[in-house]
Order: sequence, then structure tokens, then C-alpha cells
Amino acid sequence: MNTQDTGTLPRKALLGSGALRAFIGGRWVIAFLLLETAYFCFRTEGFANLNSAQILLFYGVQVFLLAVAELFVIVTGGIDLSVGYVLGFASIVSIKLIVFLGNAGLPAPLALLLGGAITLVIGLVPGLINGWLVAYLGVPPFIATFSMLGVCHGVSELLINGIYAMGLPQLAADIGNGHFFYLAPGGIVSFFTRPEVERGVQVLEVIPIIVVVTAIVVGVFAFVLRRSRFGRHIYAIGGNSDAAVRAGIPVKRRLLGVYALSSFLASLAGVVYAFMYVSGKADAGASILLDAIAAVMIGGASMFGGTGTVGRTMVGALIIAVLELGLRMSGTPTFNKYILVGAILIFAVVMERYMPESRK
Amino acid sequence: MSDDSGGFLATGLGRSLANNWAAFFLLLMLVVFSMTGQNFLSIVNFQNVVHLQTVPLLLAAAETFVIISGGIDLSIGFVMGLVSVSAARLMQAFLASGLPVGWVIVLASGIVLVGSLIPGLINGIIITRFKVPPFIATMGMWGIANGLALKLCQGFPVAGLPDALPEMGNGYFLYALPGQFMSLFGKPSWFPDARVRELWRLIPFSLPFILAILAVLAFALKRKRFGRHTYAIGGSMDAAVRSGIDVDRHVIKIYTLSSFLAGIAGVFNIFQTGIGNYTTFSAMYELFAVAAVIIGGASLSGGKGRVWSSAVGVLVLAFLENGLAISGVQPFYRYIAVGVLLVIAVVIDKLFPNLR
Repeated sequence: MNTQDTGTLPRKALLGSGALRAFIGGRWVIAFLLLETAYFCFRTEGFANLNSAQILLFYGVQVFLLAVAELFVIVTGGIDLSVGYVLGFASIVSIKLIVFLGNAGLPAPLALLLGGAITLVIGLVPGLINGWLVAYLGVPPFIATFSMLGVCHGVSELLINGIYAMGLPQLAADIGNGHFFYLAPGGIVSFFTRPEVERGVQVLEVIPIIVVVTAIVVGVFAFVLRRSRFGRHIYAIGGNSDAAVRAGIPVKRRLLGVYALSSFLASLAGVVYAFMYVSGKADAGASILLDAIAAVMIGGASMFGGTGTVGRTMVGALIIAVLELGLRMSGTPTFNKYILVGAILIFAVVMERYMPESRK
Repeated sequence: MSDDSGGFLATGLGRSLANNWAAFFLLLMLVVFSMTGQNFLSIVNFQNVVHLQTVPLLLAAAETFVIISGGIDLSIGFVMGLVSVSAARLMQAFLASGLPVGWVIVLASGIVLVGSLIPGLINGIIITRFKVPPFIATMGMWGIANGLALKLCQGFPVAGLPDALPEMGNGYFLYALPGQFMSLFGKPSWFPDARVRELWRLIPFSLPFILAILAVLAFALKRKRFGRHTYAIGGSMDAAVRSGIDVDRHVIKIYTLSSFLAGIAGVFNIFQTGIGNYTTFSAMYELFAVAAVIIGGASLSGGKGRVWSSAVGVLVLAFLENGLAISGVQPFYRYIAVGVLLVIAVVIDKLFPNLR
């Protein structure tokens, strides 16, 4: 998307052999995550327990989903700036729909299911338009998706008229904040519903439902990118678009699919947001965009396309999530998070330049 | 896509229409809003719009240079916030140490303006020496600048600055009450503040300020070697290298200039509001600056763009917002309109690739 890259670089032999560099290049991110986690475990009281791990994953789901969305687009050599506001748009649309269906007389579970499903279908529209602009009209991804950001922002605000979307049934909050098991003192185990206990009695909550849903979705898309023909085509397009055309890959259709998929994942994140926070707002995902793109880049993908995997992207997202929670729990203002994410982002790309590993 | 070389485009009118469609669109918009909105067509309104667009104009000018060179600078919005907040903090410190107000303002502004070169210098070095794509390098700087700004101000705008700041920043050259009096450079002190709206206030200080800066930048881009090299790098990096341009050095200069202009915007921001403001995520200054530059006819692939066209792009967005608001349309349509305009701009660019 830009021309600053001059092709082959003179790589200085920072560290002896190419093999050693490739070894480090492939693994430093994981080592970084482990060191970072260890640091906070020792440094921050109460960080090393099950609960903070759950909190970390629970509040990270939006970033995880958007990072996967962004990864697909970045592998093709593009960028999707609209995901954050598509998230907000979907959070509002889902609430409006569910409330509407509920008022129409549908029972709450059905209204939630139907409203969520329709939102996911509507959520394809921004992506299809993005994909059409990029693939068929040749609009640069940066511009096309920034335009879509504006459109989603505007439509969202029009839908809610400047306030929050609200009014979800209680069931939504129960699902959004629910856990699989609840352990109460005295060996009481309860599935899905919180056991009735006296005030002040600690109930151990295990495995948030949302996190499991997110993990399944991320797993499915990891499989799609790695094993399916669609995934192989995407790498081919990002690696060399001309060659992909000559190899008979329907590049335009694939690009359309990638942007639709990105916007689908963003709307899923939006529906999840609505269930978690029982409200929807236009800028719900505005500040997550940086985290999502940073996660992909820290995970070793190239801005020019053709590289990146879901697993590494998740490591990148976890680095950010651990940093955020760790800083929060140690009482440091979160301002430091932005500085550190920015610095890690640049560091990661420099590492990728000097120690590229041989991989897809 | 289509080859119109022999048709309408070949005529002088056609060329200039396609070349300057943003300017024509701006004119059309002014005419339409003059009819739909009460008091849209007035000196007061136009002055206000331009005055409030000083910061976006500076940022768009910064982005123009970067985009012509084929890069992008996502950090300018947050660099501006960082400069604004640090200038405010410095002023507080100087005031506390008992310096006279005039010196406080001059010293603090001077120091932060010099300091505002640093983010751009770092961006340029990371981009050229480490071959990090501009998008990522400046995005990292966005995070760093944002974090530093928030750290400096602890998440609150910095207040308690000299009153002289907003008076200067929002002052006009001429104040008059028709038929009674006229005064230059300031409202007469005996005139009550409550009735200030009855005064005619003409030519805000910000107008010649921004015009001068834009003129210098436009001159440098169009007539100077600096500008020629910028176009050359954006047109073809390889050709620029082969023709002996020190590309790395020049790219560093461009990002430093961009960051410096963001610094000027940050200082101006203090003069305009009287407080040190950090930049919020939803402001998206840098993205709207890019939008203005693209609407002005530049291309993200580099080699194209003009300072004055970018300024027209800023005014298109500004009058769109202003006109819609005055015509009683929900302000949120503005976001949608920006998106549509951007796509139109790029499609026009694709349809007529041979325009400058």
C-alpha cells in the first residue's frame, strides 16, 4: 500500500548465521509473552491466579476477534480501518433488533438468537461494499475502509441519536457474563447459573462462556486460513497478486470474501459486546483498532501481505492483553500501555525485518 | 478504466473540471447551502469556519508532503496533542517560577516547537534506516505520543494558563460597531463583554497566519528543490535514487516537517482554546487530514498532490459539516458524506489517471 519499501534490503549480519536469526525471528514473540507474564506474576500481587487469567481473556475477546479479522485482510496486503466502527454498528443493530423482536412478542431466547443472527448477516454488508470498492473499483483499502468507517459511524449515530442503545433482556447479560461452572463453598457445583448463596459468600466462577465461543471462532478461522483452499488463495494474493491472477485464482472474488469475512468477525465482536455490556454505542470499538492491528504486526505478519498466522496473531494479542491487565493491576496508569504497545509494535517490525523466519 | 482522451476531457474546461472537481464541488456546496441554511452565507459564518479549521489545515498540509512522497503519517493527531499538553505544562512551570507572561508564552511555545521535530525525526529514521513501513512506524509513534500526552496531563486537559492566550488566538484585526466606533487589534476595554456579539469582528488573526504558512509550504513544494525531490520520491523511488537524490535524508526531512507542522497545530490549539488538550481516539485528526488530502486530488500511491488542493479538501469537509448543521440536518450525516466523498475522489482519480 505504499512505496517506501525498496525491495531487497541489505541485511547486516547482526547475529552470525542466517539459521540462528531465523530461529530467533520465529520465537522471540513467544519468549516475550512468557517473560512478560512471568514479570507480572512476580511483580504484581494477585496476577498469578485463575481469575486474572479469565479476566484477561474475557475483556480481550473483542481484540482477539478484530485481530483475526485484520489478519485476513493484512495477509492479502490490505488494511481494514472500519472494523472498530463496524463493531459499534453491530452492537447497536443487534440491540435494536432484539428489542424489536421482543416487543413483537417473541420469547427472549428466540429474540436473542434471531436478532444476533440477523445482525451477523447485516454485518456482511459493510465488508461486501469494502471488498467491492477494493477489488472491483481499485480503491486503495485504506481509503475504502476509512470511508466505510465514516458511513458506519454516521449510521450508528443516526440509529441511536447520540445516546446508548439499551433495553436488552436480562438473559443477554446472563449469557454475556455467564460462566460454565460455578463453585460455591461446600462442594456445590452449578452449571451455567449462579448458585443461590448468602451475601458475601465467594463463588468461584470458571470459564466464561464468551471466551469459549471466541476460542471456537478463532480456531475455525485458524483452520480456514491454514488448511482451506480459500486460505491458500489469500496467501497467494498477498504474496504476489499478479502471479495469483495468472495461477487462475479468482482474486477479485477472494478479496470480496476477505473483506466480508473481516466485517463479519467485527459484527460478531459487536454482538458479543452487546451481550457483555448490555449496551451498544457507535464508538464501542474505536480504541481497539490500534490493538488489533498491533497484535497482527507483533505476531510477525507483513504489512505488504503474504505472511501471518492466526496462532502468532493471538500471541500478539495476548502480549497486549497481559500488558494491559498487568499495568492495571499494579496500579500504573494505563497511559503507559499506549507507549509500550507503540514501542513493541515498532520493535516487532524491526525484528521481522532483521530476523525473518522462513515460513508462509 | 475508460479512455476519454479524445472526448470531453480533452477540452480545457473538461480538464480543469476533473482536475479541480473538489473546488467546483465546494462552490456548488456553498451555493446550495446558501439557499437551504439561514445565515450560512455570511462573513461571520465563513470567518468562523476558516478560523476553526486552522488546525485541520495545518495537519492536512503536513499530510500532503508525506502522501506525495508515497508514505503516510498517522501520528500527527497525537503529536499535536502531545505538543499542546507539554506546552501547557511548561507554561504552568514558567508561570510558577515568576517569569513575565509574555516570556512564558514565547519560551514555552519555542521549546515545544523545537521538541515537535523529535517524533518526526524518529519516524523518519525508523522508516529509512530500519525499513519499517510508514504506516506501522507512525502508528507506533501514535501510541507513544498518545501515552506520553496522557501521562503528562493525567487524563485531564491542562488549565490555568494565561488569559492572553485565547485573547490572542481568537482575536480579530478589526472591531467595529457600525456608526459608533472602530478599533484595531482588540475590543475597546470599556465595551462590555456581554455585548461582544453585537460587534463586527473582521479578519481573525488566524487567517493571515494560516495563509502565510500554506503559501510558504506551497511555494516550497512547487518551486523549490525540496518539492521536486518530494514528487520524485513519490513518483518512483528507484528513479529518485538513480537520479542522485539522497532519498533517506529527504524522507527523514519530510516526516520531520510533518511532525513540526503538527507541533504548530498543537501550539495554535493552546492559543485557540486556552488550555492544553490531549487528543482523543475518536477525534481521528490524522484520518480526516488524509481524507482532505485525497479529496484534494492526491493519491495514496504518491507523486500527486498540491498544498492548496488539500486546503480545498479541508474546506469541503468543513463546509459540509457547517452547512448541514445550519440547514438543520442531523450532524451524523457528515460522517457518511465524508465516506462517500472520499470514494468519489478516488474513483475520479482512477478514471482520469493522466491528471496531475
